[in-house]
Amino acid sequence: MVPEGVVALLEILLFPGFLFLIALAFFYEWVDRKLLAKLQNRYGPLYTGPSGLLQPFADFIKLLSKEDITPKAADKFMFSCAPLFLLSFPLLALFLVPVAGLKALISFEGDLIFLMFLFTLIAVTVFIAGWSSVSRFSTVGGVRAAFQMLGYEIPMTLVMVGPAIAARTLSISQIVGWQTHNAAWFIWFQPIGFAIFVLCLLAELEFIPFDIPEAATEIVAGWSTEYSGRKLALIRLGKDVELVLAASLITSLFLGGPNSSLPILAIGFFLLKTTLAVVLLTTLRALFARFRIDQMIAGAWKYVIPLAILQMVLIQLGFGR
Amino acid sequence: MQTDLLISLPFIFFLSIVVGLILYLVGGIFGAKGEKTEGKVAPYACGENLPARKLQVDVERFLIYAVYFLVFDILAFILATSLNTPGHFPAIYALIVLMAVVILLPFLRRG
Repeated sequence: MVPEGVVALLEILLFPGFLFLIALAFFYEWVDRKLLAKLQNRYGPLYTGPSGLLQPFADFIKLLSKEDITPKAADKFMFSCAPLFLLSFPLLALFLVPVAGLKALISFEGDLIFLMFLFTLIAVTVFIAGWSSVSRFSTVGGVRAAFQMLGYEIPMTLVMVGPAIAARTLSISQIVGWQTHNAAWFIWFQPIGFAIFVLCLLAELEFIPFDIPEAATEIVAGWSTEYSGRKLALIRLGKDVELVLAASLITSLFLGGPNSSLPILAIGFFLLKTTLAVVLLTTLRALFARFRIDQMIAGAWKYVIPLAILQMVLIQLGFGR
Repeated sequence: MQTDLLISLPFIFFLSIVVGLILYLVGGIFGAKGEKTEGKVAPYACGENLPARKLQVDVERFLIYAVYFLVFDILAFILATSLNTPGHFPAIYALIVLMAVVILLPFLRRG
């Protein structure tokens, strides 16, 4: 028999751990780019690998091999640390989400709260990245990221708690377990919550109606203007991992998660549902035009939060389960 | 016992930092090394002459949203952790929040 520790280590490092998650991140970046290109009547990635499948990986290697420039005025330590954290926070968060099977690698009562905390921490790190660059474009981008967080954080927290209240647990694995056990998906019970969650994830991922912090036509590249070389590579990879995180959260909170205890079936369901979630996010991204920051915050507080509270009230009245 | 230690939150966090660091160091080994000229390490400025200095963030316009954020974040947290408590505790807190919202409303109009 293989010792238990070795199995655990292999799980963490290979499957469903780091290697699998990073490979999946590159794959979903390809799905996102290819679909976005198709929707905009372009070709998208084409030459590297079959249908350009390896293009995101090639881009990553290219960025790693480029020169890494740190601006003279920047706060060197924070400027170098921010990309590292922007990669490791989403990676860590993905270990709390069930991928192969009904139970995540790390699962405890309250991991949903911890995950919300990680989401906030990512937004704060983005602000620090922009602020420590000491460039006006980066600073404006970072401040916008922080303000945008004021808008989407509350409704996202409220609708993430919705499934938790209906399933009477604060653990993501047990929410998935509840949906499998009752053969019911929360998207049917809490459609408002699902819509708001997707909207808030678009803002968290800085996807197009809410790509205000990195608005290319206004502030160059926003908070990541000064980043280059390996640091930019880490930021880009972190963004891809965040996309995987967003898709797998939609899957586990609202679409029933990998609802099978057989590993092969579970991973199949997981891949199918997360791909659907990525397709949904990309389609929405292609449909809209960018909001202004004040429109985004005011809109979130005037329309999205009341709707999230309405969903909460409906759940408390017994309509959400 | 060892398995518990392996699959624990701090250890996974440590490992994810290590994964990032490895990629970072690989980039440091294989990355191109050019000379640092004055223009290269200056902040990006679209060709304008903009010196690098820290900008003051104007929070006044969004301060009221920050206050609302604080109030509602605590409300969301209380709702989240009120799974097994009787319904009137979250309801009482929601009423307090409603009062805070009503008091803060004139400031929102002005802002």
